[in-house]
Amino acid sequence: MVFEGIKAWFGVDIEFDKVQAAIVRMRPEPYFGTHALLEIRDARGGREVLRRLAERVTSAADWDKPRPAWTSLAITYPGLVALGVPESSLASFPENFREGMAKRAGALRDGGPNAPANWEQPFGTGRVHLGLSVYAGSEAAWRSEVAAYEERLAEVSGIEVLGRQDFGAQPDSVNAFGYKDGFTQPKVQGSRVSGFPGDGREIKAGEFIFGYPSETGRPLLMPAPDELGRNGTFLVFRKYYSHVAAFNRFIHANAKTEAERELLAAKIVGRWRSGAPLALSPDKDNPAIGEDPSRNNDFTYADDPRGLKTPLSSHIRRMNPRDTKLKALSDVNIRRVIRRSTTYGTHLNKGVLVDDGQPRGLDYLAIGVRAIDTLEFLQSEWINSGNFMGVGQEKDPMIGLQGKDGTFTVPGVPPRYLRGIETFNTLLGGEYFFMPSIPAIRWLGDLKN
Amino acid sequence: MTKSEQDMTLNALPAAIRQRIDEAISDASVALKLFVAKRLADPAMVASHRVTKAGRIGLKSGQVSELTLIAPLKQGGAERLKKFFALIDQNLQGAGQVGTLHNMRFVFLENETKLLFATAYDGEWDPYIDDFATLIPEMMDYIFGNIEGWPGIHSPDVKAFIERYQIPAAAWFVADPDITVAEADRLRRQDKAVRNFLGNLN
Repeated sequence: MVFEGIKAWFGVDIEFDKVQAAIVRMRPEPYFGTHALLEIRDARGGREVLRRLAERVTSAADWDKPRPAWTSLAITYPGLVALGVPESSLASFPENFREGMAKRAGALRDGGPNAPANWEQPFGTGRVHLGLSVYAGSEAAWRSEVAAYEERLAEVSGIEVLGRQDFGAQPDSVNAFGYKDGFTQPKVQGSRVSGFPGDGREIKAGEFIFGYPSETGRPLLMPAPDELGRNGTFLVFRKYYSHVAAFNRFIHANAKTEAERELLAAKIVGRWRSGAPLALSPDKDNPAIGEDPSRNNDFTYADDPRGLKTPLSSHIRRMNPRDTKLKALSDVNIRRVIRRSTTYGTHLNKGVLVDDGQPRGLDYLAIGVRAIDTLEFLQSEWINSGNFMGVGQEKDPMIGLQGKDGTFTVPGVPPRYLRGIETFNTLLGGEYFFMPSIPAIRWLGDLKN
Repeated sequence: MTKSEQDMTLNALPAAIRQRIDEAISDASVALKLFVAKRLADPAMVASHRVTKAGRIGLKSGQVSELTLIAPLKQGGAERLKKFFALIDQNLQGAGQVGTLHNMRFVFLENETKLLFATAYDGEWDPYIDDFATLIPEMMDYIFGNIEGWPGIHSPDVKAFIERYQIPAAAWFVADPDITVAEADRLRRQDKAVRNFLGNLN
């Protein structure tokens, strides 16, 4: 009775025991974890690994109860081929997924330093078949979760770990630039995730998980067969190197006092270091807002159409324009993805103007049925152009690929046009993944021929 | 310029360009060859109007893309459309809500059995179609509903349908390839502000 009531209320009942936990579980705070990339050397070994991992990959059942750690698994198109997935099924996947991120460099505007030719191994080589991720809320839980999957991988031949990257373990969960991040998440209808004020209206579950009604009113086209597609989704992975010293230099070159520097940096990001948004605290940081999840995302741009508080070209306003009246391209609700991005390396202090050469940056993870289309859209329209905000060809100041004459506009009376902005995050590589349901992992593991 | 002067000027241009010209348009007049060669030899001119792909299908120069579609009309489709166009005095101003739309035209072909739709728009094909679906779905369905087999602007098949009837341009030119509709709007506002400012100075 109660259950029926809930179902009627949400209009859709998500099969949590089949969906992977990473789709609904938020990144813990503090967080620890590992991304591992695997190559399948022969189909038999690959299938055995999947059968073993099927017990280990965490479902979303009881997602609303705390959990010390969870593991997720995703598969690239070459991975599906290596597992011997039937041709009829392979052909049912969208073309951009089949081509892979490296071949989509044109659509993604991944040129210059971001071009696949400059990527770190093994990205873009076609050898990345599986992506395994562990998220944990403590170091102990992280180590034991990693040990658990490694144990299942050991003794299986025909599989090779190509690379492993640990992430997290930052004090206050700040990113490489020293900013708290990872705020906005879409509210998934039927997920019973209550979310936080400012997350926007509920988005239909079919935008995030295959097999449910989408924003169009019906399920989006799903990979075949149903056993493979249903309750799955796509995952986009992009590894960035953060040029924090270059960012610091740009701030120092364009602002004199410490207060002016922090304001300019906030104008670029759209938030202060604590996470407090300019929209709520336009003149100085307010850590009380930054640390309060019921307040730090609860705002609109209704009183700021010209960007006098939050610049139109700032990173967070571009990535989530909210109620900004866009000059072009308006359906923001089909552009939403679940973000599970993570920071690696230590952050570089804001006073440091020379890079120390240490690896640090961001692993961008976005989940959703349209995650690949959305990434390609974001890269060409919202990141590497400013037309939709009426700022010409200006690019996103944090993740845009800047040319020789890059600018950043700070609206005001008078406005400031800052020249000489550099690319503050360069791409080290990435892959398009399919994130199968738990039963689909078994289905893949049980493939014959 | 006399013909011999034209020949001399042409011969002074890089050999690679002369060779390309002779291979492609050997039958053209020297004047035309010279006209084309001068442009090909100017890297700035070539770069500013470079033609790329508009995403899925069609050409793009700078920020501005082209779309030409020819599709069969349903029985009586032309009549319905003519009534609609007459009602609005042939003025499709409502489409201006699509902030990437420069212009568009509807032309009847082959005894009004086919519809030609041609437009210039900013950016890439996929977001452009998404914008139509979001902003003016009723107008899209009313107009294109007169085409044989139109699946509906919200149908998951609509993009494949449009792509099937689209004929990509063979060549494409835009006078100001970087002036998007949004940029034109911004420049107009900026110009007004500058004029006000200068007016108040005097």
